[in-house]
Amino acid sequence: MDDVLKIAKNCRHYAMCKIDYLGSGVCASGLEKHYVSFYPEGRMDLYAAIAEKTIPITEKCVEIADSCNLCGKCDYQCYFVMELRPSKVMKALKDHVGAYLESGGKIVPAKDDRLLAEMKGIVGDYWATNDPAVRITYHHDLCPHVTFKMPEYVVMPNSIEEISAIVKLLNKNKIPYVVRGNGASSHGLVFSEGAVLDLNRMKTMDFDEKNWLVKVGPGIAAFDLQWEAKKRGARVHTAEPAALVCANIMTSGLLSTFSTAYGVSADNFIDAEFIARDGSFFRLNDITAPNLFAFHNSNAEHEAFAICVSVSMKLHPVTDDESGILVPFESLENALDFAKDCATRHIGLAIGILGEEFMSSFLAPTIKRTADVKDIFTQKLGMPYLVLLIGDKYALRSVREMGHPAIDQKLFKTLFHGLSALKSANWLDLLKELSSDEPFSYLRIGQFADLAETALAPSPAQLTQDVDPDLSPFFEELYSRPEMTDLVWLNTFRIMSSRYNREKPCVALVCYLPIDTSLIEEIQGRFQDIARKHHLKSALGFITPIDSGKRCVWEHDFYFDHNDPAEVLRIQQAAYEAGALIDDYSLKTGTIRQVRYVVNQGCCRKENLLYS
Amino acid sequence: MRIGSGTLVERRAARGQRILVTGGTGFLGSHIAVALLRAGHRVTVLVRSSKKLPAQDRVARLADWFGLDEGVRRSLDVAEGDVLDPGWAEAALEGTAGPGPVDEIVHCASNTAFAERKRAEVEAVNIGGLRNVLDFAARSGCVFFHHVSTAFVAGKRTGLCREEWVESGKFTNVYEETKAGGEILARDVCRREGIRLNVYRPSIVYGDSRTGRTLRFNALYFPVKAAVFLRDIYLADIRERDGRKASELGIRMKENGYLFMPIRIEAGREGGINLVPIDHCVDVFMAILEDGLEGGVYHIVNSRPTRIEDLVDHAKRLFRLDGVETCGLEAFVAQPRNALETLYDAYLDAYRPYMQDLRTFEIKNAAPALEKRGLVCPEFDYAIFARCMNYAVETGWGARLFP
Repeated sequence: MDDVLKIAKNCRHYAMCKIDYLGSGVCASGLEKHYVSFYPEGRMDLYAAIAEKTIPITEKCVEIADSCNLCGKCDYQCYFVMELRPSKVMKALKDHVGAYLESGGKIVPAKDDRLLAEMKGIVGDYWATNDPAVRITYHHDLCPHVTFKMPEYVVMPNSIEEISAIVKLLNKNKIPYVVRGNGASSHGLVFSEGAVLDLNRMKTMDFDEKNWLVKVGPGIAAFDLQWEAKKRGARVHTAEPAALVCANIMTSGLLSTFSTAYGVSADNFIDAEFIARDGSFFRLNDITAPNLFAFHNSNAEHEAFAICVSVSMKLHPVTDDESGILVPFESLENALDFAKDCATRHIGLAIGILGEEFMSSFLAPTIKRTADVKDIFTQKLGMPYLVLLIGDKYALRSVREMGHPAIDQKLFKTLFHGLSALKSANWLDLLKELSSDEPFSYLRIGQFADLAETALAPSPAQLTQDVDPDLSPFFEELYSRPEMTDLVWLNTFRIMSSRYNREKPCVALVCYLPIDTSLIEEIQGRFQDIARKHHLKSALGFITPIDSGKRCVWEHDFYFDHNDPAEVLRIQQAAYEAGALIDDYSLKTGTIRQVRYVVNQGCCRKENLLYS
Repeated sequence: MRIGSGTLVERRAARGQRILVTGGTGFLGSHIAVALLRAGHRVTVLVRSSKKLPAQDRVARLADWFGLDEGVRRSLDVAEGDVLDPGWAEAALEGTAGPGPVDEIVHCASNTAFAERKRAEVEAVNIGGLRNVLDFAARSGCVFFHHVSTAFVAGKRTGLCREEWVESGKFTNVYEETKAGGEILARDVCRREGIRLNVYRPSIVYGDSRTGRTLRFNALYFPVKAAVFLRDIYLADIRERDGRKASELGIRMKENGYLFMPIRIEAGREGGINLVPIDHCVDVFMAILEDGLEGGVYHIVNSRPTRIEDLVDHAKRLFRLDGVETCGLEAFVAQPRNALETLYDAYLDAYRPYMQDLRTFEIKNAAPALEKRGLVCPEFDYAIFARCMNYAVETGWGARLFP
């Protein structure tokens, strides 16, 4: 595989090229044409398909290649998350199509199709297609245990009425369909051999600040919503920045470290609107609406009961004294005790125990640096577990009074900008002695932050020293922005957590369960046994206490190389065994709920999900 | 007693015995094991595997560091085991593949942590581990138990500390407390079982006074290392940046090339730090092993403790520092600690009780053996300080100890 194809096949389908999370702009053609094919993510898939001769050169293929102006914005975005340079793929795609046409190659026309014509009649000519160059970009993601399906049609309705009409048309013709928020798929959930309805055009956001809500269309991504909420001095509970808010609620019930204060599933919204399977419209708050607040705890596949076409999200107030800290722990048990204690006492808005994999991936600007960061935190600083806590000044004061040494905003900035110097900082050895009576007690010494700043000479330039030289000026400026070292901003917008799949994709096992150290460590040990047996890396992702500390969300990840068929087979087996293991524990304890069973039940009441 | 002293001398002279050394990769344990080997004894070291290296490799690496020749190495056996495991001896020694019975045991395995939060770990090793080794001694053919303890079992008492059992007392930390308890435990078991017992009580042991070489860089080394690291941090600030941070703390380069780093270190007018080089410590141990056949308690200490002022002067001279001074507590009342002093003070905290030691240690029991061999503990002068600290710097304070 050549380098360009390797880049193309390493796209994680994480959709970060569709949001302007770095302030560097978004691919202009994607914003105009909306199909995923016109975003860098789609062009990566398209290039791979053409290079491997999966599809011919079609009209849309030429249009997609032509629409790229090689502006390079995608490099900033994709390098930040995955350390990939998609512009090389964009150029290769243009070169390949150009050479094909110059050599007299013929453009293969799309097939005439009666049904397609009817769809075009509903949504407009441009917004329905059966061109393979578009369809191929809706055909697969990195999920290892799904049989991918190539859709016959991709349709982009722009209103509730258009969705309803399309659904009725597809029903009438017995065409199966799935719905996507912005074309992306990352967990193998939205594939069909019939039609894909891509709702990316439906980007409405109506704020009703008097009633503390914002009504969001299905094409709105978390980052964009949060951005608008922040402008209004509020916060919305969102998850991954590129995740579509409506889709996120439907699939996982929407959870994050802010779930400690804001909850999960039905806690997140006030109302929602749907198009039912028969094409009819209903609101959740209608007295006759189906009971979507129920939760059925089973591994039976729950088919999407309806298409969520809007959701009225809760707006949460924000105070101007919010700040973040990282509280280090030597053991998971102590980290869990602290997190539970805070949640039980309602201290803090967001709490998350971060494992070494997450912490190192989030902070390191490059893959090479990730191993260094892991070594620094786990070995040199002796902090295998960090509890992130976001709260107002009273919450942070409470944590101090609880007696826990912590990394505050100032020290976090110093350590983050000084990561390179930390690697070779021999004075870190002294810290262990300094903390002999109490772990991390040096963090209490008022002068420690100043000493660290002197010793590390932290700067954005230092942080970015092994970034590709041509991108270095951009990233140096980026990391100098205040928000890039602001734990509140970073956890509200979550742009760094999108790096969690950078080294390898992973299968994430996410559960709700009691904050019971022995139970969690026992299951974690069994997960690690499974990973070892299949020669895979597995690690704690994060743990967030919810519902006053009565339960937590726990993510454990199994990493794999999606381009290695043998490893894909192994992850399939490992994921199956791990899933079965959780089923066993779930039956045995009666207190464990798996997020995979929440799919299409995300509107449920938290209490039904956790306790019924 | 399980064996008469005459028979013991004969068996030792014939070098037909095997001596087990626990904590064989530790600082004292490895040096004692090597001294025994070089004296012609057959030695088995009890060693744990580390995360990175199996027990055999750990020992081989140390043997290289000591420069042991092949002939000597042939008298060395490695038994893999952990004194915390009650069944360690069965696994390590008593199986068919094991090196066979032992006649004498030198117990060096110890946890030297001071922190109260580590009490459970320290007690586990210094009491529980010792008990496991004594259990083995009791049921095996062991005739002599050599227990390596510390002079600081004396605890918080002041004045003359005698070479006698410490039945009770107040201790500075869990290390002292458990080592004192361990001595009593060893005494009781050995009395009951008719095993001869020597208890060796060294004070603070540092590197080789003749070569500066050492395997550990704690205790004496730590405050010096902290000062050197602080010096390097502010030197870099001055040389590579604008020196603003250094200037905020009154740190500056002097014309003579010395760094002026104003740090006052609290030190009383009396007392000092009791330092013994590893070479002297091992020489004394071997002398007592040979001559102290009837059992007893032996201090291995320096009759001339080093004053903190001298230590500070040595460090200033070697590391081209100025502004570091000792002073009494009253100075800090008149002028509270500045930022740098607060930080350095925190570094020194764990070692403070040993820096202005008002205790003196009796050297009565060991005296005849020392006099017989002309053994005198070297005074910790600048030459020795420089040798030891240069070796520390050369090896990155232990980071580059092994190739």
